[in-house]
Amino acid sequence: MKYNKKEGFFYLTPVLILVAVLYGMIIWNLVASFTGWEGMRATWKFAGFENFIHLGQLRRFWVNVKNNFIWLFVFILPTTLLGYVLAYLFLNLKRIERVFRQIFLFPMALSFIVSGSLWAWMYDPSSGVINSVLRVFSINTSKFGWIANPKGAIFCMIFAAFWQYLGFTFVIYSGAIRGISFDMVEAANMDGAGHFRILFQIIFPNLGHGTLICTTMLAITSMKVFDLVWIMTQGGPGIKTEVLPYLMYRLTFSQHNVGMGAAVSVVILILSGGIIIPYSLWAIKKWVS
Amino acid sequence: MKDIKFKTTSITIIILLTIIWLLPIYAMINTSIKTQEEVAKQEYLKLPKKVQIGNFINAFKALKRGLLNSIVITLPSTFICIFLGSLAGFFLTMFDFKPSKIVFFCIVFATFLPYQIVLIPITRFLSTLKLLNSYGGLILIYVILNLPMGTLITATFFMKVPVDFQEAASIEGCKSFTFYRRILIPLSIPGLISASILVFVQIYNEFLLAIALTRGPKVKPVMPILAELKGAQIAQWNIQMAGAVFVAFIPLAVFIILSEYFVSGLMAGYGKE
Repeated sequence: MKYNKKEGFFYLTPVLILVAVLYGMIIWNLVASFTGWEGMRATWKFAGFENFIHLGQLRRFWVNVKNNFIWLFVFILPTTLLGYVLAYLFLNLKRIERVFRQIFLFPMALSFIVSGSLWAWMYDPSSGVINSVLRVFSINTSKFGWIANPKGAIFCMIFAAFWQYLGFTFVIYSGAIRGISFDMVEAANMDGAGHFRILFQIIFPNLGHGTLICTTMLAITSMKVFDLVWIMTQGGPGIKTEVLPYLMYRLTFSQHNVGMGAAVSVVILILSGGIIIPYSLWAIKKWVS
Repeated sequence: MKDIKFKTTSITIIILLTIIWLLPIYAMINTSIKTQEEVAKQEYLKLPKKVQIGNFINAFKALKRGLLNSIVITLPSTFICIFLGSLAGFFLTMFDFKPSKIVFFCIVFATFLPYQIVLIPITRFLSTLKLLNSYGGLILIYVILNLPMGTLITATFFMKVPVDFQEAASIEGCKSFTFYRRILIPLSIPGLISASILVFVQIYNEFLLAIALTRGPKVKPVMPILAELKGAQIAQWNIQMAGAVFVAFIPLAVFIILSEYFVSGLMAGYGKE
């Protein structure tokens, strides 16, 4: 017997109001993206799709979109894969798992500003940690620019995020692996199946939830990455590491082109909505059952 | 035979990864206690001759106001989020309400929303309320943005409370608020700690709103100030790293002391029950 709903609205109302404010803001932003608003004062002059057309003509915009998609693929695949493999490796090493979980998970508690400062130093071409260690082995580091190398910079940055998020996928997969029945694995082991086959043909298809959670969370992270770009490269070299959230901030707060900034956030909304909506629908199904 | 080989390979991979994961942190702490001359030698992995706390004193001077601001903003925001979130979580799990599915969808969606999408309206909203560059404004915004997550995680933990408890209580004539206060909350203390840690760390580590909504040192949280310190102390790695260690201290301490709660919060917040 559940409680009667009438007396219960007292509990829901505060959250309902504040969440409604949040959704109001999303709509407000949507409207603003159709205005020719420039400067500090709000100018509600309807400009149709002008901002979006203008955005589509900017090469910078498309470079940013491409960079967000590089993040999406290069960040998600290794982080989920290695997190999964780690969870599997620790299945037979339960006694030491607890200690190692801490080692891989602690970066999750750091701010991107802290980890970004750290990795910017690691990658610094002239006085960074990586090159200074390589020099000890008398390796010529003059061609290793890391974060200053136009081709490699974005991958270096993604590695920093990978370092930070591996513990997350590891923990989620550890939980998911424990939930599946091991009869199948035992049977496959008897048949002489190798670890690779057990890993990818037998356990993996049964981990649906774990993979969904990991890929969704990492995908959202790659759509909203901002702090790392700010602290490590400011979008450089050139605009090689610039992403949409960074462009949105620059357009709005440095160039005071609010209409355009709002248009970029609508693009971010569409991209991340495509990720969050399916996840939310799945979460509801799970909630009801 | 095969098993031994597998075990050796696993341990090798794990040790290798452990080195990669700990080396940056080792270098960071090691460098934060060195003098500028020692840093200039670029022997980052070598231990210092003498431990210097001077860098930390400098970092503390530069960051103390920001740290204070961060704490003044983060603590009440976290508390309000968890309190209001737990009320809503109670409603969503224990009340008979048909549209709660829609409400739940809206809350999950809002939990994962990138802040950029509402950044411009937030600045307008706060400037209309005359709350730009104030503790109140930042607290209000952090509450609005983190309340969905607070609701989601507390609701997940409340679902673990057996239905029988609630049924027995309501047959005994226990009012809903009495049930919430006397039974649900005491039973869910571990869950509430997990939820608080997650929200606390998230707000403390936040950067985008912290730079966009503050001007000058009066209310600016510590993350933007650390970012400024990095810009001002180019190649003075010891000072930069001391600052980073100093700022990371609170969330890391929370993580190390309460890591079990942190893990179960992550699991609850991201869909695994």
